[in-house]
Amino acid sequence: MIPAAPSTATTAPDPSGTVRAAVAETGASGSAGFTDAAAGRVGKRPSAFIVAAAITVSLLGLLPLGYVIVTGILTGWPTLSALVFRPRVGELLLNTVGLVVITVPLTAAIGVAAAWLVGRTSLPGRRVFAVLLATPLAVPAFVNSYGWVSAVPSLNGLWSGVLIATLSYFPLVYLPCAAAFRRLDPTVEEAAESLGSGAWGVFFRVILPQLRLPILGGALLVGLHLLSEYGAFAMIRFDTFTTAIVEQYRSTFNGPAATALAGVLVLLCLFLLIGESGARGRSRYARIGSGVARVTPRRSLGAFTPVGYLFLGGLFTLAIGVPFWSVIRWLAQGGATVWTEPVLVQALLQTVGYGLAGAVVTCLLAFPIAFLAVRYPSRLSRGLESVNYLTSSLPGIVTALALVTISIRFVQPLYQTTVLVIVTYLLMFLPRALVNLRAGLAQVPVGLEEAARSLGRHPVAAFLHVTTRFFAPSALAAGALVFLGIVTELTATLLLAPSGTRTLAIQFWSKVNDINYVGAAPYALLMIVLSLPVTYLLFARSRLTSTS
Amino acid sequence: MTDPGGAVGADTATGPSASVIELAGINKSFGGTRILEDIALSVPEGSRTVVVGSSGSGKTTLLRLISGFELPDSGTITVLGRTVAGPGVAVAAHRRGIGFVAQDGALFPHLTVGQNIAFGLGPALRGGTRRQRARAVSELLEMVSLKPDFAGRRPDELSGGQQQRVALARALARRPRVMLLDEPFSSLDAGLRAATRDIVAETLERSGITTVLVTHDQAEAMSFAHQLAVLRDGNLCQVGPPREVYWRPVDLFTARFLGDAVVLPATISVGFAACALGMVAVAPTSLRGDACIMLRPEQITVEHCEAGGADAAGALSCTGQVEAVDFYGPEVQLAVRLFASGAAAPGSPQNLGGTLVHVRQHGTMGTVVGSRVSLTARGTATAFAART
Amino acid sequence: MILTRRWTLLAAIGTVTLLGATGCSAPEKSSPAASDASTPSGSITVYNAQHEELTQAWADEFTAETGVTVTLRNGDDSELGNQLVQEGSASKADVFLTENSPAITLVDQAGLFAPVDDATLAQVPEQLRPSTGTWTGIAARSTVFAYNPSLLSESEVPDSMLDLADPAWAGRWAASPSGADFQAIVSALLELKGEDATRDWLAAMKENVVVYKGNSTVMKAINAGEIPGGVIYHYYWFADQAGTGENSANTQMHYFKNQDPGAFVSVSGGGVLETSANPVAAQAFLAYITGKGGQEILKNGTSFEYPVSDSVDANPALVPISELDAPVIDPSKLNSTKVTDLMTEAGFL
Repeated sequence: MIPAAPSTATTAPDPSGTVRAAVAETGASGSAGFTDAAAGRVGKRPSAFIVAAAITVSLLGLLPLGYVIVTGILTGWPTLSALVFRPRVGELLLNTVGLVVITVPLTAAIGVAAAWLVGRTSLPGRRVFAVLLATPLAVPAFVNSYGWVSAVPSLNGLWSGVLIATLSYFPLVYLPCAAAFRRLDPTVEEAAESLGSGAWGVFFRVILPQLRLPILGGALLVGLHLLSEYGAFAMIRFDTFTTAIVEQYRSTFNGPAATALAGVLVLLCLFLLIGESGARGRSRYARIGSGVARVTPRRSLGAFTPVGYLFLGGLFTLAIGVPFWSVIRWLAQGGATVWTEPVLVQALLQTVGYGLAGAVVTCLLAFPIAFLAVRYPSRLSRGLESVNYLTSSLPGIVTALALVTISIRFVQPLYQTTVLVIVTYLLMFLPRALVNLRAGLAQVPVGLEEAARSLGRHPVAAFLHVTTRFFAPSALAAGALVFLGIVTELTATLLLAPSGTRTLAIQFWSKVNDINYVGAAPYALLMIVLSLPVTYLLFARSRLTSTS
Repeated sequence: MTDPGGAVGADTATGPSASVIELAGINKSFGGTRILEDIALSVPEGSRTVVVGSSGSGKTTLLRLISGFELPDSGTITVLGRTVAGPGVAVAAHRRGIGFVAQDGALFPHLTVGQNIAFGLGPALRGGTRRQRARAVSELLEMVSLKPDFAGRRPDELSGGQQQRVALARALARRPRVMLLDEPFSSLDAGLRAATRDIVAETLERSGITTVLVTHDQAEAMSFAHQLAVLRDGNLCQVGPPREVYWRPVDLFTARFLGDAVVLPATISVGFAACALGMVAVAPTSLRGDACIMLRPEQITVEHCEAGGADAAGALSCTGQVEAVDFYGPEVQLAVRLFASGAAAPGSPQNLGGTLVHVRQHGTMGTVVGSRVSLTARGTATAFAART
Repeated sequence: MILTRRWTLLAAIGTVTLLGATGCSAPEKSSPAASDASTPSGSITVYNAQHEELTQAWADEFTAETGVTVTLRNGDDSELGNQLVQEGSASKADVFLTENSPAITLVDQAGLFAPVDDATLAQVPEQLRPSTGTWTGIAARSTVFAYNPSLLSESEVPDSMLDLADPAWAGRWAASPSGADFQAIVSALLELKGEDATRDWLAAMKENVVVYKGNSTVMKAINAGEIPGGVIYHYYWFADQAGTGENSANTQMHYFKNQDPGAFVSVSGGGVLETSANPVAAQAFLAYITGKGGQEILKNGTSFEYPVSDSVDANPALVPISELDAPVIDPSKLNSTKVTDLMTEAGFL
């Protein structure tokens, strides 16, 4: 599953020369750095309807966090401290923190190296690799884990977790960095050369610092994914906070211990968020001046070309080759019979249905916030954005726990309904949609709409006919990201879905739990197949917006 | 009064003859297109050479070849006696020790001004105490006439001119003996341009740095240069001191590129040419008979010659009629249609079939359209073959 | 405008599929019976913690016989049990089926069950159901020690489950403590030996055991030689043997017997919720499961659990339940909350 925080990169637009490297999409990097080229309604106030909608959605997002805090308070400090300060939690902390501390720098290094090889060298076949290296995003981490465990059954523990997580999540750093590489000003690097920096000096003193934003943003995403991931680590018997919360849930439903663990997990997420924000600093890496429209010449690797191939080829093989091969092997073993399960079609339809419905609802409800942020930037809009970003950083399991409890206690009719599931998806995936919608809106010149209005169109009509034209590709990307997240979502759906729900992820997981790996293979394949077009769409868009 | 069209003046850089930069037989192509063809250039020590040409002429490529960002297809480049590019030799840019200031300054966006300048400081000083570094940075800022408190600012807080100066300071930090400047003043406002140019010229002169600057602005080129090199479609048309290139251009293209040119058909005889403006002295040339001559507008004086009120003794013969007057502030530009049959007495009807000539005049003269004027050429013209 | 059309199209697709998804997955509201109060009809929702395949087989047969639609909500014993307690009177469940007793006892103690029909109770022997009559046993399984003969000889196999606390067993035995199955075994230990002994044993287990997730995974690991032995339930081995055998070929079973806690026979339970909207159908389902039809499936099917009904023999491949020498325990006494607390204390949860 790719829960909580947004995943792939699309770059923010460049209306007046301000470069916001690709992970503007993490949102909290925030409206602070965003140009106000598309704003400019000084004095004019936004429609009350829009503001109300934005505030309502954001408040909804506060529910899970509120639940954790309130339950914590209600449980009382003595019980809470007994549940939090015990050896088991220490074990989990060690595992989880160890995982993050090792995996994040590793993915960062691999992501940057891959982006450099693809973007700055003349390696033959680099264009193919450029696409291939984005595909691990189409394979959910738990399917990757399944593939690896099928190939190497004895995989378990921290280092296996690091391996699988790195292979699953490196595109989160690779994509923004690859996009950022394309936007770097070559004359700056030449200036460094003229000042005596050799190739390594230029890389570490000039290129890498300019990549700080995409690296940090990508690293944050990787960290948040690591904290939220369940299936992948459960399969290799590696206990993290999220796996422990799920186990607690299975034993006590929403007992205080589960919530206590959730509280610690939320703190870890907050820690990551603050860390990234601090490391980012006040950087505004504006491209100064208009710049010469020169493309950086590519470096030939010469004698090291085979090393480059080995690295990229090896990366691809491990990240995609192994899971694919395992899936194919199981499918071959299962033959045609595994495909004849009637549940398969039902699961496919349900997954697609939830994916589309969730995508549409999320984009629609993210729109008011994006609109406010771009057209009427203010403290309110920034606050709303930050709230949404924060709440979506919570792991899916916490959001699900919160909504389950709240719905049982207060909104019974919603309990175990599709609506609740969609609401959960909304909360989990809102920022993905938000950042893309915001980027799209920011690209639209306000002047156009006003021109349309001066020609007699009603403001709403002017908006629909003029702005949507520009804004549609971003909306599509936003929907695609949400769709991708929903298709691969596991834990929240498990908790909240109405009885009898069978999505691809749920079916896959139940087969795997019975160690029926053969039966699980068709579901794995279907999830990957559903995710691939979306992943390609995101990749294509990341190339497009970077050259705009 | 000095003769502006006179012989080559003594303004050429006559420093010690050691040439710091030598280009010989340089050729460079990109894709299938030939960018530079058989370039030869020599830059004396301590002097400033400007390579001027229109966009696409290859001047930036030339600079990049010297700096080491590109390698020539053939030919040799020697800097400070060391061959840096040539058959079997290719010294990397970061080892050439040549300062480079890019078109927009190319300051490092992630560093402050002080850190930018300190970037080029040698490792010893980079690792030195904060005070040593700060002092070095302040000195460099002072060199480019910026206040020391600029050191804490970020590049995006600076104006274009300030960024250029910081870029210069950064390049100067390494005390290079050679400095390359790529259209450094083109992105500055007109008012700022001259001032910045002067500061830069002064800084480089004081430090005795040999400079090559590249630009498409002729006025800038001529004021900055000791040696001017005109680049056209990858070939060096002419290299020489500005005065020489301006007054004795080698062809009409060069003539027109460096300034306004008045071109008239003429008949050349030894030392003189007969044209619509009368007999004009002409620079030594092997051309005879039908050809054309080039005069600079400032060589032509304009005087009124209307009939009436002038006595025969002081009357000037009219050479043409004003067709248009363009106001430029201190000057006006007159478009004068010359009479077909040369000078004529004031008042006599004339055939307006001659060449259209653009000349300048002080704005106080009050010439209006339709008035008849007398044009007189002073100084020496340059002769060119008739077809050019 | 093409793009607004595209949006409308997308929205239309989304709404249609959403409706479709809702249709597919909407909780089958249990519809009350039609006119005749004793003929089951309509539909029921079963909160099912038993193995999905088994319950699905029961559900399909039941639907074939009676026409009642059965919707399963699958989960774990304690998860569903606690969920039922949380849901309280607003629960949409009609029937609750478990794999072990502690979870169903939890729900029983919350007073959420309706009394089981007498006719149904008559089908199950007394020792396999609580005296309260609020739920009944539906199947049974025996605790076993599975081991890999190439890593562990018969003489090295522990005599009692309590031996596994010995330091000699450090890192040499496996279990799945997060699962309800093992927690049921611990509840038996708690009932038989008391809180202190259980606490000590769990502490020793924390030192010694290698944790896996799921009994199947434990068996697979034993089979692969990763670990010499482990504590699971019997039917995993038999089920795998009946299939490809790839996860049990190198595994043997050891029955502790001697009324050892390790010989604990866990009773799977079934009960009808008080708040059921379709009690007739719910009771009928429970009657079916414990009757000849349902129990035959246990005998002939692939689950290899022990039937509870007298009228049906166990699958001949299994060790007869009478030979297991299991300790006698009242299923309603098994306390899941206490077990969870003890296991949390020991650091397993």
